[in-house]
Amino acid sequence: MNRRVELNRGNRIFLACVYWAFVLYVFVPLILMIVMGFKDSKFIGFPIRSWTLDWYTGVFSDAEVLYTFGYSVVIAILSTLISVIVGTWIAVLLEGRKFWGRAVTFGLMVLPALVPGIISAIAFRIYARMLGIEPGMGAIIWAHAVHNVPFVTLVVMARLSTLPKSQIEAARDLGADPLMAFMRITLPYLVPAILGASVFCLLLSFDDFVRSFFLGGYEPTLPVLIFAMLRSGMSPEINAIATVALVLTAAIGIWAERFTRRANKESQT
Amino acid sequence: MTSPLVHIDGISKRFGDAVALENLSLDIAEGEFVTFLGPSGCGKSTTLRILGGFERPDTGRVILDGEDVTNQPPERRHVNMVFQDYALFPHMTVQQNISFALELKGMDKSAIKRRLDEITSFLELDGFGDRYPGQLSGGQRQRVALARALAPDPALLLLDEPLGALDAKLRGQVQRELKSIQRQTHKTFFFVTHDQEEALTMSDRIVVMNKGRVEQDGTPEDLYFHPQSRFVAEFIGETNLLSGKMRGVDGEAVVMDWFGQTLRGHAPSGVPTEGASITASVRLEKLGFHKARPDLPNAVQGHVVSKTFLGSRMAVDMVVDQTDGAKLRAFVDADTGHSIGDDPIWAAWDSDSMAVLRD
Ligand SMILES: Nc1ncnc2c1ncn2[C@@H]1O[C@H](COP(=O)(O)OP(=O)(O)O)[C@@H](O)[C@H]1O
Ligand SMILES: [Mg+2]
Repeated sequence: MNRRVELNRGNRIFLACVYWAFVLYVFVPLILMIVMGFKDSKFIGFPIRSWTLDWYTGVFSDAEVLYTFGYSVVIAILSTLISVIVGTWIAVLLEGRKFWGRAVTFGLMVLPALVPGIISAIAFRIYARMLGIEPGMGAIIWAHAVHNVPFVTLVVMARLSTLPKSQIEAARDLGADPLMAFMRITLPYLVPAILGASVFCLLLSFDDFVRSFFLGGYEPTLPVLIFAMLRSGMSPEINAIATVALVLTAAIGIWAERFTRRANKESQT
Repeated sequence: MTSPLVHIDGISKRFGDAVALENLSLDIAEGEFVTFLGPSGCGKSTTLRILGGFERPDTGRVILDGEDVTNQPPERRHVNMVFQDYALFPHMTVQQNISFALELKGMDKSAIKRRLDEITSFLELDGFGDRYPGQLSGGQRQRVALARALAPDPALLLLDEPLGALDAKLRGQVQRELKSIQRQTHKTFFFVTHDQEEALTMSDRIVVMNKGRVEQDGTPEDLYFHPQSRFVAEFIGETNLLSGKMRGVDGEAVVMDWFGQTLRGHAPSGVPTEGASITASVRLEKLGFHKARPDLPNAVQGHVVSKTFLGSRMAVDMVVDQTDGAKLRAFVDADTGHSIGDDPIWAAWDSDSMAVLRD
């Protein structure tokens, strides 16, 4: 049943006000942050007397910032690759199969996404020491990958559950063995889901502070670097770094959203 | 006798407590158009899926071309299937869909191209090669599914209610097309439907299924005029059912007592024991009307209670005298129908037109 809630005029105006208040609440800090990055003064705050692009040129010529940015990107890409492969694999194993203990398996699989970041970070740190894993890139990638697997699995499972059984049967019927049927039919069908999940993982990893902080070695990731810079005082350079990161992540997110939607539409017949 | 293309040897299949197939045996000769007909849930799809290799029977064997394929996976069988939902691959073009099996067989590019051209022109799909399934109409998709299944030249083609998704008008056209494709290719078609009219128009042979068993197996005419069971008589076409007592045998004919009147029929499923309660079936178009008692083995007197004009013919309902109000229904042409008045009238039929049924 699809019953629309009827609103009277007063309620409508009230809801519109709440909505716009929310939008302002979210965007005003972002806009302030962006604006301050163009201020020609070391002190953040109003009034702004003159504008400059110096902070940005500073960022793009600051070797440490650029290096850290690259470091974060590499961590994001490698951890995402691992999450996507492992997550998809688990999804394929779990979906459409009934076996004893499936619910428990499923629950354990989701758990890493639910454990609070600080707790899992400390746990990883202790575990890494026990295993003799040095803090640094490998440890961060490992922690990010484990944390992100559940998101991949859930998204891929949802997509997989909509693949008609007859698709695989038709492929087998026409001469494909199970592996070939997976590669030629299942995998292409999963592409939009895998892509969407990948972008989500990339952003989660790029954005992560707690795990990167606890498991990092001497080289900081971008969020850790920003945190370190903050301790020596707020400077518009940080605003510039943050704005660049914001624009990039937003662009990737929007592109992925559009791509997934188009791919979803194409596969509907 | 040459050995059959398909030999199904006593297969049974259960799903949990539900029995889908019970000791089913069947032979299919090469080049036959065999239809599996029965109500929904009687095990038609299960049989087809066992032949395709998607299910394994609990007991029994499937022999294809002399080889036991019971435990062979679908990709190893020389059998292809047209799925009920067509199962076209949405991310592949029509051309890629059709050549999927050829590619997997390792055919070289020029051979694939030749086969593709051959099959698309045969099924009138030229010009659609670069379209995606999502850009085709229902009828076109159905043809692509057929082309894809025929492309690898299977020994046996399985079709699971492939016309179910088409509208009534298109259905009739596709039925004729499918039949003519089967004649031209001399392929063995194993067709599943729950639509008795579809089965009658298309098949060389019909296997009627009921509750996981074969109810009757024969030509369309055989099933229609000589049903062996009440189920078949009622499931295929419309019929008059007469319940009476078995009296005995007179030469070729089986004699039955119906409200004190003696009727003669034949028993395609074997002669019942004397005194048994039996049911006989007479098709509507086998009844004739006469002003005076005709010289036929079966004639009963009564009067007409209603006439229904049906276009090409007329349905006439009569109540038979000296019964508890038993009714008979007949099809006659419109002129004959109009000439029937309110006077008492005789309805008569031949003994060959009345089949005594097994229950
Ligand atoms: N995968 C399955 N799981 C459980 N029951 C099934 C399955 N497939 C078929 N059945 C049951 O087996 C019986 C026969 O089904 P099916 O062969 O699909 O019938 P039909 O095609 O004649 O409609 C039905 O009672 C159906 O519910
Ligand atoms: Mg079925």
